[in-house]
Amino acid sequence: MTGIFPLSSRTTKQALTYLILGIVTTFILLPEVWLLVTSLKRNTEYLSPQLTFLPAVPQWANYAQVFTMIPFFNYVRNSLVLGASFTTLCVMSSSLAGYAFARIQAPGKNLLFSIVIALLMIPAIVTVIPQFVIFSQLGLTGTYWPWVLWGIGGSSFHIFLFRQFFMAFPRELEEAAELDGCSPFRVFLEIFLPNAQPVLATSAILNFMWVWSDWFNPLIFLSDANTTLAVKLNYAYVTPQGQQLTPVVLAACVLYVLAPVAMFFFGQKYILQGVVTTGLKG
Amino acid sequence: MSTREITRREMLKLSGTAAFGALLAACAAPAAAPQAPAATSAPANAPAPTAPAVVSGPVTVSVMHDPKEFTDDMIKQFQAANPSIKLEVIKTDMTRFYAMATAGNPPDVVRVQAPDLPQLLARKLLKDLTPYFQSSSLLKPDDLAPANNYYKAKGPTQFGDGPIYGMVKDWSPDFTLFAYTPAFEEAKVPVPDTTKSLTYDELADLGKKLTKVQGDKVLRWGFDTDTAWIDRIWMNMLAEKGQSLYTPDYKKINLVNNDEARKVVKYFYDLQKANILASPVNPSPSWIGDDFTKGLVGIIQYGYWFSAMAESDVTKGKVVMLPSPTWAGKRRNPTMTATGTIISAKTKNPDAAWKVFEWYHGGSPSVDRAKGGWGVPGLKSQYAMIPTESLFQQQARAILDAELPYTNDVIQFNPYISGDTISNLWNKYVEQALRGSLSFDDMLKKIESEVNTAIQEGADRIG
Amino acid sequence: MAIHLPRVQKRRPVCAQQRAANEQARKGMSPRARRQARAFYLFISPWLLGFIFLSIVPLLVGLLISFSNYDGLNLMEVKFVGLRNYTRAFGDTETQYALQRTALWTLLNTPLWLAISFGLAILMNQNVKGRGFFRTVFYLPSAVPVVATVWIWRIYLDKNYGLVNGLLGLIRPGTALPWLTDYALQSLTAISLWTGLGSGMVIFLAGLQGIPTELEEAARIDGANGWQVWRHVTLPLMTPVLFFQLVLAIISSLQAYVVPMLISPGSGNGLNNLPPRGVYLYMIHTFQQIFVFRRFGYGIALLWLLFILIIALTFIVFRTQRYWVYYETELEEKKA
Repeated sequence: MTGIFPLSSRTTKQALTYLILGIVTTFILLPEVWLLVTSLKRNTEYLSPQLTFLPAVPQWANYAQVFTMIPFFNYVRNSLVLGASFTTLCVMSSSLAGYAFARIQAPGKNLLFSIVIALLMIPAIVTVIPQFVIFSQLGLTGTYWPWVLWGIGGSSFHIFLFRQFFMAFPRELEEAAELDGCSPFRVFLEIFLPNAQPVLATSAILNFMWVWSDWFNPLIFLSDANTTLAVKLNYAYVTPQGQQLTPVVLAACVLYVLAPVAMFFFGQKYILQGVVTTGLKG
Repeated sequence: MSTREITRREMLKLSGTAAFGALLAACAAPAAAPQAPAATSAPANAPAPTAPAVVSGPVTVSVMHDPKEFTDDMIKQFQAANPSIKLEVIKTDMTRFYAMATAGNPPDVVRVQAPDLPQLLARKLLKDLTPYFQSSSLLKPDDLAPANNYYKAKGPTQFGDGPIYGMVKDWSPDFTLFAYTPAFEEAKVPVPDTTKSLTYDELADLGKKLTKVQGDKVLRWGFDTDTAWIDRIWMNMLAEKGQSLYTPDYKKINLVNNDEARKVVKYFYDLQKANILASPVNPSPSWIGDDFTKGLVGIIQYGYWFSAMAESDVTKGKVVMLPSPTWAGKRRNPTMTATGTIISAKTKNPDAAWKVFEWYHGGSPSVDRAKGGWGVPGLKSQYAMIPTESLFQQQARAILDAELPYTNDVIQFNPYISGDTISNLWNKYVEQALRGSLSFDDMLKKIESEVNTAIQEGADRIG
Repeated sequence: MAIHLPRVQKRRPVCAQQRAANEQARKGMSPRARRQARAFYLFISPWLLGFIFLSIVPLLVGLLISFSNYDGLNLMEVKFVGLRNYTRAFGDTETQYALQRTALWTLLNTPLWLAISFGLAILMNQNVKGRGFFRTVFYLPSAVPVVATVWIWRIYLDKNYGLVNGLLGLIRPGTALPWLTDYALQSLTAISLWTGLGSGMVIFLAGLQGIPTELEEAARIDGANGWQVWRHVTLPLMTPVLFFQLVLAIISSLQAYVVPMLISPGSGNGLNNLPPRGVYLYMIHTFQQIFVFRRFGYGIALLWLLFILIIALTFIVFRTQRYWVYYETELEEKKA
């Protein structure tokens, strides 16, 4: 263990450590608590000059209003559909490519892989804006086609993830299979893929969370009727007089984050593994 | 085991999963989310449809509109009465409109606002509808309300009269005022006479007296107007003196060397600096109309349409509508937005499109709008339908009638820039000026040069 | 087939593999290699198609547009204007201001994030009870979608109704600090740290735990105290990770736009949101050009300029590696 604090007393050091961790915990948790608490207030309560921490009476009705003011489930469905289709396609495409870079020999492989890495350097926006121009001239804006195409094209980040994962398998695995006369595709499908659950889970979770959280792309590519929850809840909970009902929006936010937070809790292991793999290796 | 590359079975498996992904996405374009129907009374007996221009076979007319103003119920009603025409409604999106126009397939009927019109005309995208109006029994040229002057033009910089390119759906004289009486009581200032028009200077004075500030917080703005339309207000003020922000060919804006323009701009700058008017430094918590209904504004400048929502729980019985103010003594109170419809020049079904147009502007939808009280009808003959039940509605109606003689003028918008260019620049630069990082004159210079650049680009693009 | 005379070896016979390889080199690829190559290209074909149609084509189209006066609406009458959009960027005071703000933002955000995440990782590396709890709590914000994050911080920092001002008001009544407008850059930093500390900590913690304890023990045996072990063993071994994260942080800070756009007061459809002046970042300026003024050409030119800047900066930072980044092999050489 690296002990770098030049403090003599061990308990002082420990106390200081926990103090710092406690401060950071407060910094992280306090806004979240405020979210929950405010989502249960009346709008007038929130807007009163007198600050109250807890609501006088918890307005569970706010959560009901989330569903009554707009067809909330429609937007959840939109996000789910986009998320599922993109995730399926991207995981497939990236795993195939990642596997190929890891396990198959071919001329030009190294060049292509350096292209994959180089693409990570390009700010996505440099391609997204022209894509927007192209798609609008083709009439593909307002549809989910951009996500289908992006899914098929895979992602450099995920290709890297799969490649690192597949590279770790022993060489003998394929050689044994090839002796049996299996095609490379069968080797992939029946030997490597079944053992790839961790990386598949990581990739799927990260991809789905990306679509769920994405605000910018649905904003420019989709229209109000088929947009995702991320975009809609920013302007949806407004009375006919044009007043925004903040607590209701917050209630919608709470429901909105349930999905990624749940995914995080159940898939923490996979997410962190993915983060660490790509974060450490230069 | 086969040694071939990929067996058919494997290919099917692979494409199956791919298809699943794509299918999910492709199938998922849902129908437009059902909208809460606009508040309407039961449709009155609509005038019988006019003898239709001959329409052969079922045609599809595409309408680019706001789904709240062009509801599913209305669509069903129209299609039932006109079985040979099918309606397809697309949500308003100017980018999409132009993309469709470029592809040679613009929507037939399009919802627009007045600032869009000069540009659309310059790009030759509007159809001249004068012959249709002349032979229509629902939409007679003499019956058109003054706001329709926004849809008449002899050229992109000559709006106000001439061939008719469209029609207003409903409108309001936009420069009227609404006063919140308790604000006056608190400030011990008498509520202005409803038969007299204030000057803008008197208005600023009143605004100052009505403003309430506590430390850093503004508790009440004395006078508020919508700065999203600030350049339209400037133009209307200048027009009283026969002046304009622009040169006669509209290729340049003059702010710095134009004393009159400088004065109108400074008027609002001073109000914002004194926290009488909401500004980026002291912004409205939601929007100023909402603030008014919560009693946070002393006097607000909005059109007649605002009377439909001015009375809330907080303000009921405490609102007085006032005539529009003047800058130089000449009364001018046109609408600033003139939301309405046009028909694309390149429409493939002009007659069918006209039927839809005529029904929307003269048939039952227009009657419903007239009775809703959210605006003045586009046809003078429908004025009688404006609701006047409550005391406040009667007072508002009285003010409206008094304002009507001053609503014939139009604000000529610049065909080379979009309607929000100037207000966007204003918001950006006034914030810096209010914070002191930019002097007023420098702010004027910056706005002027950026607008001129935008005008140049716009002229360049139109070719 | 020419006869290949095996070289007469005085030392070792040419083994069968070598001969086969030589034959292969003459004949072209073996059937196995050919099948492998076919499989490879088939496997990467979706990515390759995506690369061509979703990366190369848009990049070229973007470049083309940047040389024109395209405004989204004038495809038929578009004019080409050469490098005018690029030279314009250099004279545009607004562009310069935006670049300045972005540089300031990067300089503020990056070291803070690096230092605090790294510090937290060091703390957590010690015998801390409830490590799992802390890790989960700290990492959770990065799982929160950005839209929700902004709402959380909007109501937290609101001038009149936010919790921060409310708590400050307990000490000094009437506090109404305009965090989101006047201190926008600081607020943005807070939001960014809130979101990013967890993942930074996780990465650095993994890095710390990857350091073989033998190295540290060996140093201690040699008589080094805690601080010296840290300074001469641990820290140098962490520099590769630090370096990599530094590069990534700089690149992403230069491109920031989502949070500033979302915290803008006032509505609009989001794309023409104008954030407070303090966070008028480069990307915001670019979006204003594209979506408010419809200057697609100028906007894309600005994006390309940023792209070039990022590459240049990355290159420069890479160059500094030799002064402060120690890769394991070098370290061993140093010790030897």
